[in-house]
Order: sequence, then structure tokens, then C-alpha cells
Amino acid sequence: MTTAQDKTRILTVDDSPSMRALLKHALTAEGFHVDQADDGVSALDWLKENECDVVITDINMPRMDGFGLIEHLRKGAIHENRPILVLTTEASEEKKAQARRAGATGWIVKPFDAVKLAAAVRRVTH
Amino acid sequence: MLMETIDFSKHKRVRLMVMQGQARVSGDPRLELTTVLGSCIACCLYDASNNIGGMNHFLLASPTNDSGLDEHYGVYLMEVLINEMLAYGADRRMLRAHLYGGANMSSGMSWIGTANAEFATSFLKAEGIPLVSQSVGGPSARRVDFRPYHGQARCRIVDNSMAPRDLPTPKPREDHGDIELF
Repeated sequence: MTTAQDKTRILTVDDSPSMRALLKHALTAEGFHVDQADDGVSALDWLKENECDVVITDINMPRMDGFGLIEHLRKGAIHENRPILVLTTEASEEKKAQARRAGATGWIVKPFDAVKLAAAVRRVTH
Repeated sequence: MLMETIDFSKHKRVRLMVMQGQARVSGDPRLELTTVLGSCIACCLYDASNNIGGMNHFLLASPTNDSGLDEHYGVYLMEVLINEMLAYGADRRMLRAHLYGGANMSSGMSWIGTANAEFATSFLKAEGIPLVSQSVGGPSARRVDFRPYHGQARCRIVDNSMAPRDLPTPKPREDHGDIELF
């Protein structure tokens, strides 16, 4: 569902170009501004120079996975309270608990529903 | 998890059928994955450096559904296979792919097989996974046998009556995509 332009800025982090394209298409259609990184290291580099309102990250990525990214962000005061949603094919309670301990704000199992994902972004940012 | 559910010590060779909507991965030299395809696609991935391989089997659109391909779900199914490969110890940079299936077996659904094959080919290209072998399209069903440890695949044309009835890939459960906030 396309909505009025939303100024919420989202950083999506996923190593799959196909998934990044799907996410950008879905979230842009919902009115969000979307930037993208292809793993945890790239996301941290991007965040040194840029700002976003919410991070949506995959778990399984090279160099630095989603858990590492969340832990790293939570160590810094700048990102202490920034909403971080995990979007993953993982469905295990163990992995979910690990994400919670790392400091994730929420957990979403792929395949995602664009409307629900957009609603979640609005819930954690407003 | 395949290797946790099969007692390989009791068998010299285990053949496992990969059904539509499934993804199977193994690094055991005694295992052979097999499937029969009509319009469906099977993607076989392997990492020769780690002797890990896997196969999935999917159809992205229903013959009676004119809404087009659900590429979102196709990307998800491919990601499940890739993630399972990585969980078994495969190196993503070493992945190589075989593609099979995508037949157009009846005039009423002539575009389905071609469209599924095009989706799979485009996905592999976008992900940077080399496609080393393929047998797609045409009017005939195929049987594929894949040895994940060796990365060896054999594809044979079979009578169309052997192919399972093409059913749309089951949609995700309603709770997929739900958000659990901590």
C-alpha cells in the first residue's frame, strides 16, 4: 500500500542483491527513504558518515553478521536507542533469543509481508 | 536438518527425494538427492572446496493463477538453500550452480516453465553464482539425480506422466512476516 511520503530513513543490511532489491522496492513503495549495505562492516562504515532512523538487518552475512552488527551498534551511545529489526530466514528460538540478548528491537521471519514490515517500522519509529 | 535425521551407518547409499518447496543440503558422499520436474525448477548448488551440496525444488506460479510469478517467495526459497549451504560449512564465494526443469508441457500453461527458468537464471546472475550446467525449457519432464558431496548431477528426460502435478508453491503461513517486538 502506498502511503504519503514518509521521511523515515531506513538502512537495510543484507548480503543478497536480490533481497536488497525486493526490500528497496517494497519499502520505497511504502514511502520510506531506503539506503542499503551488504554486510555488517559496510553498514558500520555507512553509519559513520550517515544517519538513519531504523536499521533492518539480515543475520547470515559475510565479514560481520547481523548479531555482530547489533552488538557493535549497541556499544556506542549514538545507536544505543536506535530501533534495529532483524529480518531473517532463521526461525529458531535460540537465534531469536540471541538477537534479543544482542539488543535487537524486533524479529521478522522471511518471507516478509511489505505492509506488516512497514507497519513495524512505523511502530518502532513513532 | 538432513544429516541429523538419517543414520548413514546403516546404508551404503541413501537416495532422498526432494519435493516441491523443499531444500536439502548434505556433505555425505553416500547421499544422492533426486527429484522429478515438470514446470518446476531444481537448483543444485555445490561448493567443491568443501564437498557440500544441496538442491531445492520450486514452482513460482500456479498454472491457474494469472497474477504472475511470486518472485518474492522465489528469492526466499533460494536464500533458504544458500543459508543451509553456509550452515553446513560451504563458502559462498565457491558456490556453483546447476539448473534443471522449467518445461512447458502443456499449451495452457506454456509460459510457466520458461518464466520459472528465467527467474532462476536471473537470480543466480544477480547473486554472482556461476551457472555451470543447465537443462531447462522444452516440452518434456526431467529426472535429476544429484550427489551433493561430489557436485555431480545427472539429468534425464522422462515421460511427462512421471512428473508430479504442478501445484503452486505453498504460500507462506499467515504468521510469516509477523513482527515480534522485544
